[in-house]
Amino acid sequence: MKYKLLFLGVCFSISLSGQTQKTVRIKPFKSIATAIPEPSDSCFDKKTNHFFVVSDNGVLFETDHDGIILRQKAETNCDYEAVYVNDDFVYAVDETHRNIHIYDRNTLECSKIINVPYSGGRNSGYEALTFNPVKQSWLLFTEKNPVTLFELDAQFVITNQIALSALARDISAATFNEGFLWLLSDEDRTVFKLDPKTYQCIARWELPLINPEGLAFDAEGKLLISCDDMQRMYYFNNPEKP
Amino acid sequence: MKHFLLSSAALFLFKTMGAQVTLSNGKHVLEISGSISTYYNDRQLKAGEEDQSKNRFKLRDAELNLEGRVGSDYEYELKADFADMAANNSGQEIDPENPGLMQATVKYKGFRFLEVEMGYGKVYYSRSSMHPFSFSPYWQRAELVRGSIFSRRDVGVTLMKNFWKQRANIYLGAYTGLGELSLAGDNDPSGQLEYIGRFDMAYPSRYRYRDIDDRITPIPMFAIGLNARYMNKQLPAGEFFPDNAAGEYGLKVIDGKRYVYGMDASFQYMGFSGQFEIHQMKIEPQNDNDPLFVNLTPKQTKGYVLSGGYIAQANYFIKNWKTIVSARYEELDLNDLVPGNSQRFSSALAYQLSGYNAMIKFQYFNILKEESLDPLKWDEQFRIGMQFLFK
Repeated sequence: MKYKLLFLGVCFSISLSGQTQKTVRIKPFKSIATAIPEPSDSCFDKKTNHFFVVSDNGVLFETDHDGIILRQKAETNCDYEAVYVNDDFVYAVDETHRNIHIYDRNTLECSKIINVPYSGGRNSGYEALTFNPVKQSWLLFTEKNPVTLFELDAQFVITNQIALSALARDISAATFNEGFLWLLSDEDRTVFKLDPKTYQCIARWELPLINPEGLAFDAEGKLLISCDDMQRMYYFNNPEKP
Repeated sequence: MKHFLLSSAALFLFKTMGAQVTLSNGKHVLEISGSISTYYNDRQLKAGEEDQSKNRFKLRDAELNLEGRVGSDYEYELKADFADMAANNSGQEIDPENPGLMQATVKYKGFRFLEVEMGYGKVYYSRSSMHPFSFSPYWQRAELVRGSIFSRRDVGVTLMKNFWKQRANIYLGAYTGLGELSLAGDNDPSGQLEYIGRFDMAYPSRYRYRDIDDRITPIPMFAIGLNARYMNKQLPAGEFFPDNAAGEYGLKVIDGKRYVYGMDASFQYMGFSGQFEIHQMKIEPQNDNDPLFVNLTPKQTKGYVLSGGYIAQANYFIKNWKTIVSARYEELDLNDLVPGNSQRFSSALAYQLSGYNAMIKFQYFNILKEESLDPLKWDEQFRIGMQFLFK
């Protein structure tokens, strides 16, 4: 009996050891079915109040708040898993070939393709891209096996790498909001808020969604999550201002 | 010599690729992966039985897998298990669950409206058979679906199409019909093929062929599948099937017609998951003196034999403990002309050291009831070991 209690105690301790922070569950207040097949990431364009969304079959879409497709640009032999927009360009990341396609945001013409070599699994390549304004560096994340954050300079040359496998089983999206780095894990169905200098986790929220892959904040600070398998986009109130 | 060449090729490959597991030239992407798994088996013999040769360590898998894409139109997969090849070369009978060459297929996606797969690999019949071993807490599949009753792999062509946001899939294929033995080259003297069709559907989203809900799905997910296969291999007088083609129970190919129908269902929710699968086989041997008729008259047999069974499995993934617990019950009736059936229970416990990539697995086997057609020397078995995947 004594050993059984000891065993249960050890198991209970193990189960608690991975949860140093409280995970809060949040619920969407609205969801939209989208015509975009397998949406794998999204980002918010502050200039137009639109979203850019990429899909697994290599198509870049621009949509409004209701998921209505406004423009699209297709590439062959591509598996887009990450997208980022700034004042001049839209950046779409092809996971399979480790390429960053750079589009003119006005014309959606692809002006450049940059290869960032990565020797990990074909389907465990770059899954998220964003820009860290605090460290003035691009951030690329591998999905899993292992989860790695790469810092890159303006020419997309890797300057630093940080292991993040302890944070989540996978990373599927990244964005910046109000000076903090936000990450999304598909397998853990969790959104993380990280310190942009140390990459330490500050807070986390659990999502009641199947296969969440895209993460963005709109102009009002509302959180948009796109789900690949469900082909839906979910709106949440800002988790810090519920 | 064969082993030397294989080893040299593997060494050359690893030396030239360095630490890379994915290579690309911009159009062609090649991924290299594999697995090694070893277990210890302990078999509890019945009273009076003395052969303890199954109490041993076994190298179950030593797999090397090459998967690639060429442009957006072609995908290929070449997967070999050196452990099985070594066992087969030492004169052992081929284990249909581990035949050595596991996959050699090319898929053409250029038609857009459907995909075509050609080569040797798993046939699209039975969800449990298609479920990848590396995602299972078990060391062995249920007897019904491990290749002893019907084949799991064959050479042939499959047309496939998914629709309704990938929630529904349809597969239609034609194969040699000799299963794992089809690699020997020739067909049997009947020269006939086997035809297989499958349809499955899931809700509310697409449902991969996985048994464990490791994502702790927050919305209940369901999937159902229907499949069937047919062969008519009536041998010319005086001709025979290749050795071992009929399998352990004499059911994999028969001298006559064979219809197989199956249904499977699966669900997952909040770490819990369950699977149910049932198969029924109707066998019509062309000769009244076929051994499957067990010396009964045509009036007694009505010209056919029924065989089949079902599997029910329940699983739970304890995320905080990185542990999978599972239990499985199986009933099997090899021949309805012989009274009785067999019942088997199995349970499994798997601890993830590093997800599925490094996992310690324990399986317990219990023969609750055995069929007179298939007497066994044991009634309990324990198996513990580790699987390691590199990718």
